[in-house]
Amino acid sequence: MISNFITMNGYGLYVWLSFGIVFVSCVVVYFKTKKTLKKYEQEFLAELQILTLEEKNKALEISKVAQQILATSSKAN
Amino acid sequence: MFNFLSSSNIYPLIEKLIKFINSIFFLILIIGLTFALILSPPDYLQGDAVRIMYVHVPSAWIGLACFSLITFLSVLNFIFKIKNFYFINKSIAPIGFLFTCLAIITGSLWGQPTWGTWWAWDARLTSMLVLMIFYFFYILTFKLLKREELIIKVSSVIAIIGSINLPIIKYSVEWWATLHQPASIKITGSSSIHSEMLLPLMVMLLVFLLYAALIFLMKYKTEIIRIKKKNIKRN
Repeated sequence: MISNFITMNGYGLYVWLSFGIVFVSCVVVYFKTKKTLKKYEQEFLAELQILTLEEKNKALEISKVAQQILATSSKAN
Repeated sequence: MFNFLSSSNIYPLIEKLIKFINSIFFLILIIGLTFALILSPPDYLQGDAVRIMYVHVPSAWIGLACFSLITFLSVLNFIFKIKNFYFINKSIAPIGFLFTCLAIITGSLWGQPTWGTWWAWDARLTSMLVLMIFYFFYILTFKLLKREELIIKVSSVIAIIGSINLPIIKYSVEWWATLHQPASIKITGSSSIHSEMLLPLMVMLLVFLLYAALIFLMKYKTEIIRIKKKNIKRN
């Protein structure tokens, strides 16, 4: 039964290759997207850090997104 | 009119959705793979090669759906000038491109054991290749052009011209004699696929949709951060 599952009754190469290519592509795209997102989050936080306290508070007051990113990064740390 | 679409309102929702998808994704993936690779029966003609359908068909559907959505939002952007649609399109396009490529590759791997050839210049296959080329040029506009207004114009034109290809893909199997089989699943009318194969297909479609949504949300979140970063610099 396991042998049949692996060989797929002679179609194993095509079936496993199809599932494998889809799986590998999706995993690569997922990690690449995640890495880019992290990079932008880090860069955004770095931009906030170089602001003066007044400018930083102003930016946080205006932008809900800035607050969210800061909150998420605080949790992660 | 479209204030609810502002990035500040959407951002917290994106965070929640990403967490939700991450929490359920692996369970649905395992269920989908169990159905697709173990529980679903082999086809009486194609044998176990039919299992390729569970990755090929959802890939093709998502590839088509993404381009339809891009076209729709491009038209809306032309009318209402909502910049957010441009960022949504920019986030959707790579997903559509990925799934169109996967549909072509898995289709080729399915074609060899069933038709005896990896590729044929048949109407369905060729029109899918044309879709992939449109996706390629659509994404290329974001990489090559610098001015945002020009990118919006050029990419929208590509999307609208490319949308002519969508009904050609859909009806190619009816309009021309093709190697590719006609649609087995019909929204109107009865489907010719057995429920034992339809169920795994729908579960795998859900898996692919969840994955596509996850990548879209991550890409869209990246876009929002990129804009906010620019705004900080300006202030």
